[in-house]
Amino acid sequence: MSTGAQYVVAAYGVVLFALLVYVVAVGMRTARLAREAELLARLVERAAGEDEEAPVRTPEPADASSASRT
Amino acid sequence: MSSTTDARPARRLAVTGALTAALTALAVYGVFFVAPEDADQGIIQKIFYFHVAIAIASLVAFGVACIAGIAYLRTRQVRFDEVSSASVAIGLGMSVLVVITGSIWAKASWGTWWVWTDPRLVTFLIVLLLYAAYFVLRSSAEGERRYRYAAIYSVAAFASVPLSFYSVRVARSFVHPVVFTQSGANMPNSMLIWFVVSQVAVLGIFLTVLQLELLQRRADSALRRVKARLEAAA
Repeated sequence: MSTGAQYVVAAYGVVLFALLVYVVAVGMRTARLAREAELLARLVERAAGEDEEAPVRTPEPADASSASRT
Repeated sequence: MSSTTDARPARRLAVTGALTAALTALAVYGVFFVAPEDADQGIIQKIFYFHVAIAIASLVAFGVACIAGIAYLRTRQVRFDEVSSASVAIGLGMSVLVVITGSIWAKASWGTWWVWTDPRLVTFLIVLLLYAAYFVLRSSAEGERRYRYAAIYSVAAFASVPLSFYSVRVARSFVHPVVFTQSGANMPNSMLIWFVVSQVAVLGIFLTVLQLELLQRRADSALRRVKARLEAAA
């Protein structure tokens, strides 16, 4: 390969390398977003589970007496 | 409030990305297999097609940042700040590529990596450093002040772009060639056509990366909002 061709390969190689670095950076950011989305999904599922396990409220005595009068 | 999300940005990204990939492949094929070799520089001149295209695209990116900055100052909508900061980031990355590929071309053509007396090289470096300072300024403020300062800076910094563009035309002593003049391009049509294809491909890369960045920022922002809401409810 001639010296001129080596410089051309170097210049285009730099551009390709930069694009690859960017793709890796985007991939890492996407992985972080996926981790956070998973964490939030677990939090939502846990919150939903706590709501289901909460005890059923019994009617207030005052409500019961007023209901019997009518 | 609708429970469905807007899928149009993702579709636009897919279309732009596919077109850009096809154009880039066509440009590389044209530059290396169809365009003739330069009589003076030989194969080294092939660097020109992407070096100049990336330089112009970086200046376009700074122009987009300036316009988005003005739009933010007028409307105070955060989405314009997102466009502005993403454009500056992409433009800055492209500027670094321009300096590196330019240095390689300079070494091959002039025998030196850098010429401090050349106005084009020095003014382009000034533009690069000015836009690098944008992120320093951005990180020094919080909330609405951050957006306002960044918008004002992106508008002010854009003044350096015409300075870089016209420096080589105004200054007398330089080694950097001027390919595009008022009388037209100083190259045969067989080269010009592939430069135009390369330019459109690089502008496509800018648009694709810009859309990708905006989508990622949108996802990040949505996740932060949900996280804050859940933490507040807990």
